[in-house]
Amino acid sequence: MWKSIIYKEWLKIRWTAIFSIVVVLLVCGFVFLKVSHDIRTTDANNFWYSILFMKYNFFTLLKFIPIIIGIALALSQYFPETVDKRMKLTFHLPVEENKILLQMHLFGTAVLVAVYLLLFLLFFAGCRYYFPIEMTVAAVLTVLPWIISGLVGYFMVSTIILEPIWKFRIFYALVAFGFITLFYIRAEQAAYAHAMLPLFISAMMASISILFSGYRFRKGEM
Amino acid sequence: MYAIECKNLTHYYGKKLVYENLSFHVGEGSILGLLGKNGAGKSTTINILNGFLQPHSGNCYIYGEDSQHLTPANKARIGFLIEGHIQYAFMNITQIEKFYSGMYPNWKREPYWELMAKLKVQPLQKISTMSCGQRSQVALGLILAQDPDLLILDDFSMGLDPGYRRLFIDYLREYAKAEKKTIFTTSHIIQDMERLIDDVLIMDYNRILAQQPISEFMKNFKQFRFTLDNPQAVIPKNELIWNVEQIHDKVECYTYASEENLKQYLSGSQINYTGFTEVTMSLEDAFIGLTGKY
Repeated sequence: MWKSIIYKEWLKIRWTAIFSIVVVLLVCGFVFLKVSHDIRTTDANNFWYSILFMKYNFFTLLKFIPIIIGIALALSQYFPETVDKRMKLTFHLPVEENKILLQMHLFGTAVLVAVYLLLFLLFFAGCRYYFPIEMTVAAVLTVLPWIISGLVGYFMVSTIILEPIWKFRIFYALVAFGFITLFYIRAEQAAYAHAMLPLFISAMMASISILFSGYRFRKGEM
Repeated sequence: MYAIECKNLTHYYGKKLVYENLSFHVGEGSILGLLGKNGAGKSTTINILNGFLQPHSGNCYIYGEDSQHLTPANKARIGFLIEGHIQYAFMNITQIEKFYSGMYPNWKREPYWELMAKLKVQPLQKISTMSCGQRSQVALGLILAQDPDLLILDDFSMGLDPGYRRLFIDYLREYAKAEKKTIFTTSHIIQDMERLIDDVLIMDYNRILAQQPISEFMKNFKQFRFTLDNPQAVIPKNELIWNVEQIHDKVECYTYASEENLKQYLSGSQINYTGFTEVTMSLEDAFIGLTGKY
């Protein structure tokens, strides 16, 4: 049954996943191409100086990429399930309802994490190529909250899409907006270094919010 | 044990009562048609049966299990056709068969592909690009391949042209009878039901009007037509006369009473008439007679 569920979910999200990978490759390529260009044209010393002392962020372009990918993945995975209430078909499958929902969610999360891992590794490798480890760690710690916000975006948008009651949708949208805003308050590099664990745990807690929407969908609440 | 048993089902949408203390059952191997006007609660009943709606009170049981908490093993025994033949339209007919075959251990792919062969669709054509009739055959083929013991069909005739409706019904009836399957179905096209069902359950707002084998219902429920001598005379509904449609002096009278009893009643009520005839009804005529035109 696992294979069938993965197959169905993959059919829904494959183009979004492939497109996301292309976007990650292009954006990372562009970021480090620009780093290379800036080092050559403005002199490496000046470029480093602007990063270390003038708070120049050479990877701002990456900022909203994870959340856009997370939201896009949630839309492509769960919107087709709500059209004509197709989720009824899914809940009628011979699997316990919460279990199948979590299986779907787990697969979506796994694909999302794979895309983010690619982004993370490319970014890390690029940073290590041009900068010392201290600057790399600071850059990575800046990007990580954006990646976690992408997970939150995926979890919360999935919950909102599946939610059958509008007042709950609005409530979840407000919670999502507030939650995601947390990840973008500070612009300084590594500003979230000490808050990473609580943010990650909070994000993981958001992952099960879809069960509430699923329950209300199953019980026909309007 | 019944395939389906509903006890004292009561449901409201907000403050609007859909029905109160509705009880019925469906025996194994029978084909029961649930008929009712729009808003009588047909889809509500189907949703409660599938656990997609929590009734205000009362319970439905499928093979003895509360429909609100069906186990995966029991769900595998139920084939469910959603109103409008809804399926995963982002798949093509090959993908959807591959997906479902992994979900059901007793999957039989032959009936599905046999039915697909009748359709003029490409194996890689997405379901979303198919006509409603073609989609109905995909949905039916999937149910047949699932090989469930109980089929719950919500308005299977919706959007189908006469050819596809006939194909759907003939396939379904032959399959159900050959394999001793139980079917619980609704349809807004009542003439379709006549070809398919063994038992009929007719609902009106808040109540059941009839629940019996269709042959018995069609034998006992009658329509008589006559012309009144006095067009001003009014024939009331009462214990004997279930429903009356009167236009000037022309009267259509629906009753469970015999011709003799009705004639006696009319004579006793000083109502004079001519041209008294019993009319042979279709199920649709009988349904309208029972529920009224409005």
